[in-house]
Amino acid sequence: MNPEQLNNPSDYQLIVNNIYQNEQFDFVGVALQSTKSPHLIKWKFVAGNTNEKFRKIVLRSGIGIAGLVVRTGKPFWDNDLNRYEYSDEMYTPIAKSELLQSAVAVPIISPLTKLVRGVLLAGYRSNNKQVSEQTALTLSQYL
Amino acid sequence: MLETTQWINEYFKDSSDAIMIFKDDDLILSNQMAKDLRRELNLNPQYLVEVADSSVKQKFSPTDNCFSCIIQNKMKEISIPITLAKKMPHPLNYFMIYNIIDPEEKVFSLTLKNRGTIDRMDQLAQQKKLTQYVNRAYEKERKRISEDLHDSIAQGVYSAIMGVRRLENNQFSVEELDELTTVIESQLNDTLTEVKEMALDIRPSVLDNFGLLAALKVLAKRLQENSGVTINVAGNANTEKLSNDIQSVLYRIAQESINNALKHADADEITILLVAHDHYITLEIIDDGDGFDVPKHQRFNGKSMGLMNMNERVKMFNGAFKINSKSGEGTTVTVKFPIV
Repeated sequence: MNPEQLNNPSDYQLIVNNIYQNEQFDFVGVALQSTKSPHLIKWKFVAGNTNEKFRKIVLRSGIGIAGLVVRTGKPFWDNDLNRYEYSDEMYTPIAKSELLQSAVAVPIISPLTKLVRGVLLAGYRSNNKQVSEQTALTLSQYL
Repeated sequence: MLETTQWINEYFKDSSDAIMIFKDDDLILSNQMAKDLRRELNLNPQYLVEVADSSVKQKFSPTDNCFSCIIQNKMKEISIPITLAKKMPHPLNYFMIYNIIDPEEKVFSLTLKNRGTIDRMDQLAQQKKLTQYVNRAYEKERKRISEDLHDSIAQGVYSAIMGVRRLENNQFSVEELDELTTVIESQLNDTLTEVKEMALDIRPSVLDNFGLLAALKVLAKRLQENSGVTINVAGNANTEKLSNDIQSVLYRIAQESINNALKHADADEITILLVAHDHYITLEIIDDGDGFDVPKHQRFNGKSMGLMNMNERVKMFNGAFKINSKSGEGTTVTVKFPIV
């Protein structure tokens, strides 16, 4: 799908569903930054969720995996999410609430300004599945 | 030589432990403390000998089947916990130390050490550990604030500056300009939020300006956003009669308890109840998480303040602190303070 066409919100749900069906991920989600002040970043579209906690999470730029991707605009992956504690810099609420062991996140870049407007994240709950740069590449091809 | 003997005599005489020396199970020598004790408690030294004797037999008995007895056999001393003046309103707890002086002549000593003194030593050691911990926590906190300032705030301001620089490029269309300004605004907004959150972490100003309930609501909202766990606050807002100290303690306990529930309990819902009555106020933090074995976590482990610190803080202001938890049944933390 061409990024220019991604203006209809439900397109993201399609992408999320697509990835969830085609790949082996246990959880796929898209978080977007609101265009209105105070520009909160929240999980808007998910697949494979085990509960509704994601709706209450408000992401903070710079903190957690998604927060880091939003701030840096670079993909990020981690295979040992369990080691982070609640007070850690890289603590990610979505991994905790969805019990993800490993996750990969890529930025969703606005075609107009080339700036990050959100993040696409996918992860595994079992610890024998690893993520890598390759996984990040595969994931970004869906965007 | 004569002098040293005199010193030893003085030490024996003035020792705060009651020392008695026996030969062939008969008392032949005792110091002032031992004499005082015997007089005041109407204590028969033979009773002490019997206690010592039975405990020696117990320890050396081969039928005891205990592995550590092998080690104990090598010990010259045996210490026995003993309570004197049991029937009086304030029983006295002692350690009685049985020490063989001359096995051939059958001379041995019994020393009564006040257990209160030993407990006090324990307390002092504990206190020392606590002070160390507080110092370390203080430094850690400063490090965290410094890192936050550097990593988040400075970084946020820096990216906003970069964004403004990009605006100077005039080739943007109206649409592009619009999005770019939105981004810069949101960067500044993030930074503002972070500054506010840092301020809130360090000391909640809401607590000073709007009272405990408002502060708890702000705290709950923020932690809910950070975790996705539903956190409800309910209560009546009548906290005016409370001193600032007690409000702070209640706030910190709520904070610590919610953090614990988020960290360890995997809770779905946390409820905070703050109810003020005529002469007391109660705070309850209830979660539906995994629960835990309370006694295991009650002692100070040197690393985290946790439960012991909460308890200490509450005790300082004559409050009561209670944790109810069972594995699989969630946890309820209850704090109660009297109000004038």
